[in-house]
Amino acid sequence: MLAAPSSLQTEKSFTDKSSSGKVDARMSTKPLRILIADDHDIIRRGLRQLIHSHPGWEVCAEAKTGREAVSLAEQHSPDIIVMDISMPELNGLEAAQRIHKMLPKTGIAILSLHFSDQLVRDIVAAGARAYITKSDADRDLVSAVEALANRRTFFTPRAAEILLSGFSDARTGAAVESGPRERLTPREREIVQLLAEGNSSKEVAVALGISVKTAETHRANIMRKLELHSVSELVRYAVKNQIIEA
Amino acid sequence: MPRILIVDDHPFIRRGIQSILKAFPEWELCGEAENGADAIKLAKDTHPEVVIMDISMPGIGGIDATRAIHQMDPSAKIILLTLHDSPDLVRNAFRAGASGFLLKVDAERELMKALAIVVADGSYISPRVPTDVVNAVTHELKRPRRARTA
Repeated sequence: MLAAPSSLQTEKSFTDKSSSGKVDARMSTKPLRILIADDHDIIRRGLRQLIHSHPGWEVCAEAKTGREAVSLAEQHSPDIIVMDISMPELNGLEAAQRIHKMLPKTGIAILSLHFSDQLVRDIVAAGARAYITKSDADRDLVSAVEALANRRTFFTPRAAEILLSGFSDARTGAAVESGPRERLTPREREIVQLLAEGNSSKEVAVALGISVKTAETHRANIMRKLELHSVSELVRYAVKNQIIEA
Repeated sequence: MPRILIVDDHPFIRRGIQSILKAFPEWELCGEAENGADAIKLAKDTHPEVVIMDISMPGIGGIDATRAIHQMDPSAKIILLTLHDSPDLVRNAFRAGASGFLLKVDAERELMKALAIVVADGSYISPRVPTDVVNAVTHELKRPRRARTA
């Protein structure tokens, strides 16, 4: 552990508190197997370091894209998945939905750059049971994984409030982003991401193994459903809903 | 022994960088900060040889903190960490006094190379940044400075 001046440290020391204190019951049983998914190598490294510093936890696999996360989850059946929401090819939300269907007992924690009110409900609907922002991750990740390992959820007070206020929004008729618009199908959401990443309809077709005509039909439906009129509006929608990173 | 200050509001990135540096004992970590204001104070107190700093942080951003640290201590080499590589960003980074521009997606692979280059008085830009952007920025930086609006 490299020393650092303590006067201006604004966050707690990296000596993991959980490794020095009470005995983790898990130490005498199987390790907790965690799959991590983030497209930045350096962030996966940081996640790995944090997880390995906790006794009884291990990283069983690492994914760089949502697609990899889904196939690795299938191969490894992890106990817990910690997944970034914005990854290329298939974002964390879509991946969470597919993994949850496949492995309903796996606890899923979603990591995102910023806190988004809209995302909280989408995340729960997708099957995730924990939501952490990257800047609070050091403080919250351990708690989130512990909660999931014990079949509990982890949501900050703010996120919990959003979940609870869901009904009252509908009652008061307040304008909710996903309110009056038709919901996109999973395939359409996948295509929103590919288009916002700069792929043409032809490239989308190749990526998904569908015909160009089908891709273009999807594209037209998406633009109509979301009331968008240009690619730049689509990109803005995708950024706003954290389907891609800004 | 070159000393490094790490500045990023994301703990995983700081951990990731620390973890890489552990394998290279000739580099010493002299401090960490989560925001620009703390970075400036720490730089003032500890005089690091290198600062690795995220561009986007709450409060004073990385570019402004770079400018302040560079003015205070021109010999400190500052590597800016960033998600994006727009020409404006690259230009502003170097104008503020940075010696390196490292994309987060390349950070693990490129960190040690970037450190070696800046400490030897060179400038480092992520290889992923398109050549035309690099050329435009170096061309512009070579021109004599004249009054510019922000």
